[in-house]
Amino acid sequence: MKKIALFVLSALMLWVAVVAFAAPGKSKTGHSKVVHITMTNTLKFNPASDTIRVGQTVEWRNTSLLVHTVTCDPKKAAKPEHVALPEGAEPFDSGNMDPDATFRHTFTVPGVYKYFCIPHEAAGMVGEIVVLPAK
Amino acid sequence: MRSVYQKFHRRWQRPFGKLVLLAAAVGLFMAGTVRLQAQMKENPKMMQMIKKMKQKAVAKDYVRAHMKVKNPKKLLGGPIEVTVTQNSGGVFVALPDFRRLDPRIFGTPEMPRAFEGTPGITGLPVFLREVENGQFTKMKKKSPFGDKYIVMANGKLSLKAVDATATDAATTEDQLQFRASWQDKAGNTYEVRANKVAAHGLEFPTFGGVATNVILHGFTGLGTPLMPSEFTYVAFWGMGQVLKNGKVVDGPRLVHGMLTEYVRTEGYKLGFDKDVTPTRLQFHLMVAPFKPDMEHMSYMPAPVKTGFKLPNGMELPFWHVMFENLQISANRK
Repeated sequence: MKKIALFVLSALMLWVAVVAFAAPGKSKTGHSKVVHITMTNTLKFNPASDTIRVGQTVEWRNTSLLVHTVTCDPKKAAKPEHVALPEGAEPFDSGNMDPDATFRHTFTVPGVYKYFCIPHEAAGMVGEIVVLPAK
Repeated sequence: MRSVYQKFHRRWQRPFGKLVLLAAAVGLFMAGTVRLQAQMKENPKMMQMIKKMKQKAVAKDYVRAHMKVKNPKKLLGGPIEVTVTQNSGGVFVALPDFRRLDPRIFGTPEMPRAFEGTPGITGLPVFLREVENGQFTKMKKKSPFGDKYIVMANGKLSLKAVDATATDAATTEDQLQFRASWQDKAGNTYEVRANKVAAHGLEFPTFGGVATNVILHGFTGLGTPLMPSEFTYVAFWGMGQVLKNGKVVDGPRLVHGMLTEYVRTEGYKLGFDKDVTPTRLQFHLMVAPFKPDMEHMSYMPAPVKTGFKLPNGMELPFWHVMFENLQISANRK
């Protein structure tokens, strides 16, 4: 009986650990290390806006049939209002992402980041990450 | 090089006879085309108006002045060879929609613009325009030029074109090798091929079949005004085939392609002239729902057999497909 209880308890703990590890990132709270954003056939970053803490990583996944980019580089923007970087932050660019590809970026400087998809910037595919200071 | 028209004249006595090809990125109404034609036939006055408008296509005399030239001038500075490819990623396939009308292009009911020529090819008759609060708002019929689209997978594009001949003429040294394909959800592959260029146009010039570094559409009168005015790095007008799963389902058809500045806006809506983004590029493929009418130097409606069914069960009567994951190169030969 004791062995069964131990087995059940172990299985439960393992399940909790797996779920906690695999759970999608939670925005705004900064509870999870990795925040997930998808890129769609309707030319959107989903969610289009998110808030994280310094040190968190964002993973973009291209869930569409199209090729997209995650680009936060003022030199590559067609319109200046589509891009923003806090002072001291380095520009970043995923390059072309085929369907199902992922790209990760860890934010180390607090502030507002506006980014875009190079091929679809003009069609409104822009996003924003607000990075809060570490707690 | 013998004119493509001569070749087609022998092969396709009529109506493709001399073939010229043509045409533009073009097109116009689709879904309502057959019904509209029927309405027109029942309405002699409307038919007469259409006939007059076709005769008034503004560039016809220009084309006539060039179409029999046997030794046309070459492009200043020599031929330009352009290649455009897409090897991965999806495509945007335009669906029939009511085109919103740019007041800069179409004017006002008191002073309309861009109404001459074959409706949808080079103009839009006033009676096909909705009016609200004293302004033109949108087309009354659906066309290939609107805001609705679907995304299809595995878009492939291969264009190799040479712009050698400067003007319209009876013969041309312009060259074209074009092939594009994409797949629907069910895994069907749709393809368009073209390798014959139109040495001259009918209602507007084709610059020998391949043009480089020109503005097309919109205010220019070169192709349908339903598309915005757009700087075009390379364009071609030719004849080709439409295929589904490797089998030819329609052809010969007029095929037009062009690499232009970006003309889509928020939500992939087709923009007006003020909305064009000059520093982004896209490639447009158009297999227009028209065939050339050589006798009258104009065009007549002819839905394309695309083999792709719309949700309402009707066959999509044109291909208007955008490619945006492009590799581009060009050089003087």
